[in-house]
Amino acid sequence: MLRLTSTIRKELLILLRDRGGLAILFLMPMAMITLMALIQDAPFRDYQELKIPLLLSNRDTSTLGKTIEEGLRSAKIFEITKTGQPESSIKQSVKGGDYEIGIVIPENATTILNSKVNAFVNAKLSAAGLSDSLKAAPAAPGELSLLIFFAPDTKKSFKISILSTLKQFTSKLETQTLLDYFSKELNREGTLSGKENKIDELVSFKEMNTVETPQEMLQLNSVQHNVPAWTIFGMFFIVISMAGSIIKERDDGSYTRILSMPGSYITVMAGKITAYLFICMIQCLLMLMVGIYLLPLLGLPALVIGHSVSAIILVAVCCGLAATGYGILVGTLFKTHQQSSTFGAVSVVILAALGGIWVPVYVMPESIRILSGLSPLYWALSAFHKIFLGGGSFMAVLPYALKLLAFFGFTVGAAWLFNKTKNK
Amino acid sequence: MSSTAAIRVEHFTKIYKGSGTPAVDDISFTIPSGSIFGLLGPNGAGKTTTISALCGLLKPSKGELQLLGYPLATQSEEIKKNIGVVPQDIALYPTLTAFENLRYIGNMYGLKGSSLDKNILEHLEHFGLLEHSKKQVGTFSGGMKRRINLIAGILHHPKILFLDEPTVGVDVQSRNVITEHLHLLNKSGMTIVYTSHLMEEAENLCNEIAVIDHGKIIISGQPKELIKEQACSNLEELFLKLTGKKLRD
Repeated sequence: MLRLTSTIRKELLILLRDRGGLAILFLMPMAMITLMALIQDAPFRDYQELKIPLLLSNRDTSTLGKTIEEGLRSAKIFEITKTGQPESSIKQSVKGGDYEIGIVIPENATTILNSKVNAFVNAKLSAAGLSDSLKAAPAAPGELSLLIFFAPDTKKSFKISILSTLKQFTSKLETQTLLDYFSKELNREGTLSGKENKIDELVSFKEMNTVETPQEMLQLNSVQHNVPAWTIFGMFFIVISMAGSIIKERDDGSYTRILSMPGSYITVMAGKITAYLFICMIQCLLMLMVGIYLLPLLGLPALVIGHSVSAIILVAVCCGLAATGYGILVGTLFKTHQQSSTFGAVSVVILAALGGIWVPVYVMPESIRILSGLSPLYWALSAFHKIFLGGGSFMAVLPYALKLLAFFGFTVGAAWLFNKTKNK
Repeated sequence: MSSTAAIRVEHFTKIYKGSGTPAVDDISFTIPSGSIFGLLGPNGAGKTTTISALCGLLKPSKGELQLLGYPLATQSEEIKKNIGVVPQDIALYPTLTAFENLRYIGNMYGLKGSSLDKNILEHLEHFGLLEHSKKQVGTFSGGMKRRINLIAGILHHPKILFLDEPTVGVDVQSRNVITEHLHLLNKSGMTIVYTSHLMEEAENLCNEIAVIDHGKIIISGQPKELIKEQACSNLEELFLKLTGKKLRD
């Protein structure tokens, strides 16, 4: 125990006297949290309250044009600008990025639709032998096509979604028109009464709540994302400091001296891990306080941390252990401080990018999302999101904590194995 | 094993992984208790490998090492309690004070409390460093660091002290303090195993020497007798006669 406590005290003294190192460990993540939360506030709001700019040229003055326009407005996801511009200008506006979508409803679209429906109904009734006396109305020349322009960078899935929304508006009108014509023709035969033939929605969709508490109603905003994200990043940056400490001890002979002393080196390593874990915990506490108290002073929403302190502590401790374990591995594998600091910093940045620290994982391409699942920073961030956004409990975050602990075990084990092989 | 032997080395061989040539090749020697033993040799001769193996830092490829009657292979913990190591590097933490460094090392040997503090202060005073006890080691001169490095190796009063070039790069005054103290420690019964490239210092300090080259011991005995036997005027001349004048890098 004396070896453990004296190692912890020694490591903490060394860390506290390293002002540059302290700045990296505390000021950098604090600055990152504040800066990134401010920078990403607007994009996050935009994403949550997204309105798609749409340029609409409605040249049809009758039912079809009105129905589509009303449908687009009622969807509340479009920011509609009406125009009387020719098709070529609309195309240019969309291509130039002023609008995401351009729609042209052609002149007399309703008349064309009605003619097509009339011809269709007459043909069907005649074929059914219901009436030979019915005369088909002349079909309007040409096809009825609504023109849709998409911005060049529009994703395929987004296009499909927009087209199906538009199809929904026109389908109902097509059906209604068909029904009206059938009724009209059958009435002429005296088959149907003259009642109105409004279509009721036969199948409706009801959105059900998946959340039960106000905590769960929280949406991901800049603060809820950036505070845990950069806290984890800051904790993992301890890798540079820890690897540097291991390499320095090896270079200056302290490691040799320690090995020549009685007792297990594991105790010394445990002391080192404990000291760095303590620093990680202080980092985490400070960063969360920045989110709760400082960011609201800058006009951002306050961080909401959920109701499970035990879950937060569990994730913070496991994340700290994963970071220190990684530091031990980097410090063991590399020979010089320059190598370890460069590799440590770059690898943490890559793991952070994959783990959704910079941008949330759900906006990443599918292939990258698969890789994200391998980043310990992703596990930690997912666990914090579960607590902060979903009101997750200790048990809810336990799987993530176990993954982080497994990573710690793997890194420390790999370092031990490497040392054992090297010293043969 | 003789009761007067502090260290016995039998057929010790060390071949590093990936190297075909042995760094130390089947050497055997005995270091009597209470002696100051100089292990001398040019660069790459096998001195550090031998000392590292005796300190339990390296596993021998072949052979048996015994310290204070304990076989190193099976009782290294018991041995480690009774040996002190002063590495060639300044194995100290520059941002810790002299006192903090020594207290940490004392704690690692199981020493603690006021007796440890008293022990540290006595050593600091003896080596002329008491007034610097609260200063960070990083601010010290080379000689001061060497003296702290030595205190770190003897704080727990080991029975055997290993010194790897303890006076390299220090001024004459610091070297004098260090060698005088080594004599005192030796008089108190401590066995000292010492390596150095300073032949004059080794001649004055050691009562037993072994010269190692290319992993083999080429001569051993009392320095004065060896000088006389080989018809040399001093240890440096003897050393050059045995190891040659060819540069070793």
